Amino acid sequence: MRGALTLKPTYYEALRRLTLQLAGVRMGSDHAFLVETRLSSLARTEGFDSLDSMVEELFAVGQARLAIQVVSALVERDTHFNRDPASFDALFDVALRDLAEKRGGGRIDLLSYGCGSGQDVYSVAMRARAPGGRDALGATTLHITGVDYPSQALERARVGRYTHFEVQRGLSARDMVSHFTPDPAPGSTDWVAADHLRENISFQDMHLMSGSEQMDPYHVVMFRGSLDHYSKSARIRVIRSLTKVLRPYGYLILGSNETLNDMSYGLESIAGAPGLYRKPEPEIEPILPEGKQPNGRTSFDGAQGRTSATG
Amino acid sequence: MTRRCLIIDQSPMVRRVAARIIRDLGFTVDEARTANEALELCENHPTNVVMLDWKTPDMDGAAFIAGLRTIAQKTGTPMPTVLFCTAERSVEQIVAALKAGANEYIMKPFDSDIIESKFALAGLLDGDPAACAVL
Repeated sequence: MRGALTLKPTYYEALRRLTLQLAGVRMGSDHAFLVETRLSSLARTEGFDSLDSMVEELFAVGQARLAIQVVSALVERDTHFNRDPASFDALFDVALRDLAEKRGGGRIDLLSYGCGSGQDVYSVAMRARAPGGRDALGATTLHITGVDYPSQALERARVGRYTHFEVQRGLSARDMVSHFTPDPAPGSTDWVAADHLRENISFQDMHLMSGSEQMDPYHVVMFRGSLDHYSKSARIRVIRSLTKVLRPYGYLILGSNETLNDMSYGLESIAGAPGLYRKPEPEIEPILPEGKQPNGRTSFDGAQGRTSATG
Repeated sequence: MTRRCLIIDQSPMVRRVAARIIRDLGFTVDEARTANEALELCENHPTNVVMLDWKTPDMDGAAFIAGLRTIAQKTGTPMPTVLFCTAERSVEQIVAALKAGANEYIMKPFDSDIIESKFALAGLLDGDPAACAVL
């Protein structure tokens, strides 16, 4: 394969460093072919005449927007619908069912962290509409937010647009015709998520390694199948910031074959549900009055009189 | 015992590519060019999976499934899992195929990922942890 490559080895090394720095993702030294394929298409859409000229400009000018685009193209994952069904079982049968019972109504907010082209988000939305999912959610409504680096994949997720190939990976024909429609544009073979499926779904672009500080709290954070790609220090940073985003008694869901075995991050694992972790309820310590002690008064009559006297 | 999959398509190219992919999934593969040829094969060999083009020269997919049912009743063998693999991509066509009794529907062109994924969705790869991990 190496003979077919055009990217200079020093550039490849520099790209590996950039990806580790910006995204915390460690690229293998044998991923040259993948890098080349993904970046070539980015170079074309960005208007460069070759891959080399794009990478040259990236390192010469150091443009932040281009750097983020390059990195997000590099860390983009190949995704299937309904990937890792065992972890979706844990999500619905354990986490969402429990939260729905506890809450009894209202909304449950779920964050899909590193959502890529959105297959996980739409898979959860489809399952929430299937009989088993509706049963688990009871009277609650599930709202899903997908976040990732700004990229073309994320833009496609936003509109729910999938290619002929993507829409056939992991998605049953029945679900496809129930929740997607063929793109009516002439010549297009894409399929687009139907309006009903996109209800209560939103996508946001952000820098995953630094943006989670400003995020709203969530009842469930979904971070599946990416742990392995992160360097150890990046992994600690990511999980720490995700635990902060979780509400008390909220759930973190990893892939069914992933664990937080190196650290607990203050989360407890759930027996029988691999990859599922819960943030404990904060212990409420009794608030002891400082200085002032109870004076034995049982009504506010006197206090009220004082207020009206001064007002 | 390895399971048997029958591919029905007019194009030798499509049959060859599909056969290679399906063999890799652990099936024995038979090929047929027409629906009648295929029904005859099914009558004489127990077949677990049929993957066919909706438009074979001699009958449409619904008629073929009806033919398969008759054979299953006559021979007392279980009905094979049916996957369509066809260029037709309209919602109406897919719904019609599912109503006729198809287990899954593949739109051409396909690749090995799609075939594997659709076989898994049709429950054909159960008990094969490597294949399930992909989904």
